[in-house]
Amino acid sequence: MFREEQASFLYMNLRRKGGSDTGDLTEKLMEELNCETVFDLPVLGGISESVVVTWIIMAVLVIASVILVRNLKVENPGKVQLALESAIGWAQDFFEGIIGKENRRYIPYLITVLLYLGISNAIMPLFGFKPPTKDLNVTAALAIMSMCLIEFSGIHKNGLKHWVKHFAKPVPVVAPIMVLEVVIRPLSLCMRLFGNMLAGFVVMELLKVFVPLIIPIPVSFYFDIFDGLLQAYVFVFLTALFMNEEME
Amino acid sequence: MLQLNMNLLYTIINLVVLYLLLRHFLIKPVTEIMEKRKKLIEDGLLNAQNAQDDAAKMKREYEAALSGAKQESAKILEKAQRQAKEEYEKILQKADEKAADMMESAKESIRVQREQTIHELQSQIAGLALNAAAKIVGEKTENQGNQEIYNQFLEEVGEAFDDPDKK
Repeated sequence: MFREEQASFLYMNLRRKGGSDTGDLTEKLMEELNCETVFDLPVLGGISESVVVTWIIMAVLVIASVILVRNLKVENPGKVQLALESAIGWAQDFFEGIIGKENRRYIPYLITVLLYLGISNAIMPLFGFKPPTKDLNVTAALAIMSMCLIEFSGIHKNGLKHWVKHFAKPVPVVAPIMVLEVVIRPLSLCMRLFGNMLAGFVVMELLKVFVPLIIPIPVSFYFDIFDGLLQAYVFVFLTALFMNEEME
Repeated sequence: MLQLNMNLLYTIINLVVLYLLLRHFLIKPVTEIMEKRKKLIEDGLLNAQNAQDDAAKMKREYEAALSGAKQESAKILEKAQRQAKEEYEKILQKADEKAADMMESAKESIRVQREQTIHELQSQIAGLALNAAAKIVGEKTENQGNQEIYNQFLEEVGEAFDDPDKK
């Protein structure tokens, strides 16, 4: 496997330069970085760690929403309901401001992605799971979904004909670039998220190895919580922005 | 770490499922509740606005009715005053006319009285003259001629006519 070869290559390299300590460190890092296959299913193949964590996040989100939504009241709402409503209302207003009131039907998906990304990026310091967004598969899946949504929204709004024609605007010369943009936009979304999370993760792991006490706490707040939430925000913001662009 | 495999597909399925679940369990109920509350508040505001409009309308109506009543009363008062004045003038005129009539009739009756008196006096004078004439005729027929009696008579009567007030 490519993964193992790479790992052993790195390992050998470092081993040659430094002592056995560095080798241990590399081994540790690689272990943390790898997305292990948690178990194998007979037909579906290996289920990776990120998918399992995603399942856990899904379960938590669904159970939490079932519990929170249970006793909603129109009049005299409780504090929890008010917080929930203001959060959902904020998200709805935010997306409505970007893609417009007439495209409300895309908002639930965007909110879902925002919640999922927010939790999965910040899950590392909170619950100790490896963030699923550190796995390229997850960010690629999100980006492919975004790409489908972006193109679908454009086709749905203006029709297939307009969608095909818009590649040749403003001048037909730009058509190759415009076609490339279809792929580049999700690729940039995917790589931005993946790179940010991976880099944050690596920095955190290194720091934890070198200074295991206290220092990682503020750094973790920055890399995991702040950067994680920021990347979640950026991801849905850009998806909505591209959708709006496509729907013009 | 840097490889794409079947887990990509699983993640997509996971995301779709999560989207459907969250839409059903979280976003739809919360949005519904928020819409309901919004509607409730809008209805309340609309009702309040309507009530306010109604009140303002009623106030305008009352004010219009009040000013109408004021005008009416002023009109009635004016009319009554005019009528009273007319009546007063009419009465005054009537009284004037009556007084004038009375004066006229009084003058007339005085004149009639006077004429009557004059007539009476004249007839009395004539009577007296006749008496006197008879007396004279009775006294003098025996001793005087007729010519003389006529002259005397004429003289006496002429005196009486010339100076009726002397008697």
